[in-house]
Amino acid sequence: MKKYLLSFALVCMSLTAFAQSDYEKIMSEKIAKIETCKTPEDFQALANDFQRIESKESGKWLPSYYAAFSYIQKGRVMMREGKTQDLDEVANQAEKHLANAQNLAGADNAEIHLLRKMAYSLRMMVNPQQRYMTDGMKAAEELQIAEKLDPGNPRIALIKAEDTYFTPEQYGGSKTKGLEMFKKSLEQYNAYKPKSSMDPNWGRGEAEYFISQPVK
Amino acid sequence: MKTRQQRLLFLITLLSFCVSYAQVKITGRVTFRNKGIGEINVTLKGTYDGATTDSNGKFSFETSEKGNHTLSFTHPKYNDIEKQIVIENQDISLDAELKEQINEIDAVVISAGAIEASDRKRATALLTPIDIYTTAGADGQISSALTYLPGVQKVGESEGLFIRGGTGTESRIFMDGSLINNYFSSSVPGIAGRDRFNTSLFKGNVFSSGGYSALYGQALSGALMLESVDLPDQSSYDFGISPIFLNAGFQKLSGDKNHSYGATLGYSLLSLMQKVLNFNTDFIDAPQGFNGDANFRIKTKSGGFLKYYGMYDTNKMGVRTESLEPGSDYALVRINGKNTYHNLSFKQKFGKYLLNTGASYSYNRSDLNFSGETNTIETDKTQLLTDGNYINFKAVLERKINKISAVRGGFELNSTDEKLKFEEVNKHYQDLISSVFAETDLGFSNEFSAKIGIRAENSSFLNKSNIAPRFALAYRLAKNWTTSFAYGLFYQNPESKYINGPAHLDFQKSQHYILQVQRASEGRSLRFEAFYKKYDQLIKVRNIANIENQNQPVQTAINNDGFGYAKGLELFWRDKKTFENIDYWISYSFLDSKRDFMNYPVSLKPNFASEHTLSVVGKRFIPEWKLGVNLSYTYAKGRPYYDIATKDINGNVVNFTRNEGRLKDYNALNLSFNYLPNLGKKDAKAFTVFVLSISNVLGTKNMYGYNFSQDGSRSSAIVPPINTFVFVGAFISFGVDKTQDAINNNL
Repeated sequence: MKKYLLSFALVCMSLTAFAQSDYEKIMSEKIAKIETCKTPEDFQALANDFQRIESKESGKWLPSYYAAFSYIQKGRVMMREGKTQDLDEVANQAEKHLANAQNLAGADNAEIHLLRKMAYSLRMMVNPQQRYMTDGMKAAEELQIAEKLDPGNPRIALIKAEDTYFTPEQYGGSKTKGLEMFKKSLEQYNAYKPKSSMDPNWGRGEAEYFISQPVK
Repeated sequence: MKTRQQRLLFLITLLSFCVSYAQVKITGRVTFRNKGIGEINVTLKGTYDGATTDSNGKFSFETSEKGNHTLSFTHPKYNDIEKQIVIENQDISLDAELKEQINEIDAVVISAGAIEASDRKRATALLTPIDIYTTAGADGQISSALTYLPGVQKVGESEGLFIRGGTGTESRIFMDGSLINNYFSSSVPGIAGRDRFNTSLFKGNVFSSGGYSALYGQALSGALMLESVDLPDQSSYDFGISPIFLNAGFQKLSGDKNHSYGATLGYSLLSLMQKVLNFNTDFIDAPQGFNGDANFRIKTKSGGFLKYYGMYDTNKMGVRTESLEPGSDYALVRINGKNTYHNLSFKQKFGKYLLNTGASYSYNRSDLNFSGETNTIETDKTQLLTDGNYINFKAVLERKINKISAVRGGFELNSTDEKLKFEEVNKHYQDLISSVFAETDLGFSNEFSAKIGIRAENSSFLNKSNIAPRFALAYRLAKNWTTSFAYGLFYQNPESKYINGPAHLDFQKSQHYILQVQRASEGRSLRFEAFYKKYDQLIKVRNIANIENQNQPVQTAINNDGFGYAKGLELFWRDKKTFENIDYWISYSFLDSKRDFMNYPVSLKPNFASEHTLSVVGKRFIPEWKLGVNLSYTYAKGRPYYDIATKDINGNVVNFTRNEGRLKDYNALNLSFNYLPNLGKKDAKAFTVFVLSISNVLGTKNMYGYNFSQDGSRSSAIVPPINTFVFVGAFISFGVDKTQDAINNNL
């Protein structure tokens, strides 16, 4: 009897242990989904998933971070589709979660500053001519802070590369220079070790994609 | 046996344990007004379980939770709702109907009569500072750019916004809520004064061509509300250089970004261009001016915002025209103007309350000298000297009721003290206009809102009071279509210029009815407006003196027996989307107006109102060349002109129209280029803009009216100072912080 009771307790324990790692399980599951999302609707659903985790795990910064990241990715897809008028709304949502993430993770988190940069860039795209001096400047500021905090972060290099790649030559951009920067970011990806399996580790695919593009 | 039983028991327990972990499916549909809506976040509260609805509003997810739970439905555009559910072993199906969340972004905006030009509300963002600078023919002046919008007449010979059949003095301009007296520089008859205020001082504006809010008054036709800029984004030095002016300025932003200060100085002189270009006007003294301004802006620790702007300017010019009177060859007029304006405003939130206060003081001196010239000998000068002191104070307290509803109320004091000296005449005019007002914004839903206001004014000079109700409604017809209606009663004191003798006078009065239908979608807006205005108690004047060698007599108001009407239709279409890098708009105004006021003998079509005005503005930015090319065209049907004289009939002095006619149509095609060589260069220390603008490229000989001799037998056309003007200039801005950052990063 004792034996059975023990095994029963063990089963219970393993199940509880299993429950404890539910957070990690669900997070890894949802983080893996980032790669498969394509449409704004996909990213909205993913943002909602992370929001659910965020409201349950109120002491952890990563769910808020990923909720914000999903919104930003949603905005970037919308931007590519030319739906720039609604980007303020998306940036609003992203910033709401970023504020939460920053409260929990502290002001010296480079990953959060990078997302803030990306949110300001989305805002700028609503009306680039007029917002270049306001949101554009704020974006540059956030990027600078992120870079100062974590110079080796490949995602910062990736976003900088993208900025250069998509800026027309006459405005100081360059496809070839951008490509070099993508390559540099890929090197950084190779050297980079995320703090945990759940910590930000996105962007490598993007860098590889751009490098694989033929140069015109 | 015992063991087997135990084993069985264990298995059953384990099984039931597992069953309790079995998944239950929860499905449903979320609707708003019976239509399925997507992107709703459905959450089983306190768990990771949930789903997002698809575009039909459907959702489905599985959960292993059991017992009493709460299912929540959230979306930023709708009110959150929660439903209690009990999860057992059966699948659950559950629908939810959401209510829309009333919020500022989605709520319909009352826009009848108003054109808002800022980045704040996308649907109404029509004319921003950049738009003004890139409108060919606007000379970077706010008031000129507005003439390319519907409702504003092209009146070249005098300053002011001539809105929908109103005179230039029937519109008022406000800075952060405070009235700006003498917004335009002093000028001589026949030449329009210029905007004293730099366009870049204002981040945005609301231009109302009628039916404006009860917070503003003393304008029969419309109001332009300018909002000054907040803290700059960085410290900077700015320089402007051109053959006709030089200016330099700086803005310093504190390290903690809580306060800033700055100043600019400028000097302008037209004489260089007079050597190059052929002017219609014979300037004996080339127009020249000096101006300086200073500002500070402070964000207080408690969240208040204090702003100061002060300026001083002087201007001078002299004009010689061929005399229409026998006995002298030329008529000369010279002006010396001095002006100072100071504005202090403070804004702070106290819980649900928002306090907005502003005070302004201005002093204006206009020193006009008239003389004649015969055989190059100048006659004695006649001086008309006006000194004015103006103080304005205004306080508005606002309380939010909900997200889109608010009540606000406050008071305003306007004090005027003017001294006029003309030969042996000394006039001292004093008036204090005290006003109280209250207004409420009522948002019934995102589709329907109303604004109801009332304003009461008392004028110490007139010793009279008035009460002016205003109201407006807005209703969303369909997703992009809105309609608004506005009604209002507006009062304005007679202009002090016409108060030169004893008379029992009252406020002048107008009533506006405005109906608007607007379609706003991404990058495009279409606006259609119909209006009717009724004027009452307009002043009538009589001539009291003639200034030697001048065509315009001195007049005094005798009563408020004038009246009139204006009605019209306006159309506005702006499109930034159809053509890449091209932004264009078309505006058309039809205006039918008649007035019996001033010295008009009968009801006449006013000489400042054109029946048809068409403007086309196009802007193309060529990124490869960093070049902006801007074009504008204005057509205005010829305005009527009158030569009104007096005659004696049985001992009564009566006015009659001695000469009248219609001017030829006005046409002007303007062109301008902006070249931004440093655009997008991240390491550039300076940001430079080169401007070349040519107004009236085709050299069309436009005219604004006629002057008649005192006996009516001779006349001369009033024409623009120049037919085609060419402006070149460079504007350079050094952003200090950016350079500083670049240095720090390299250390």
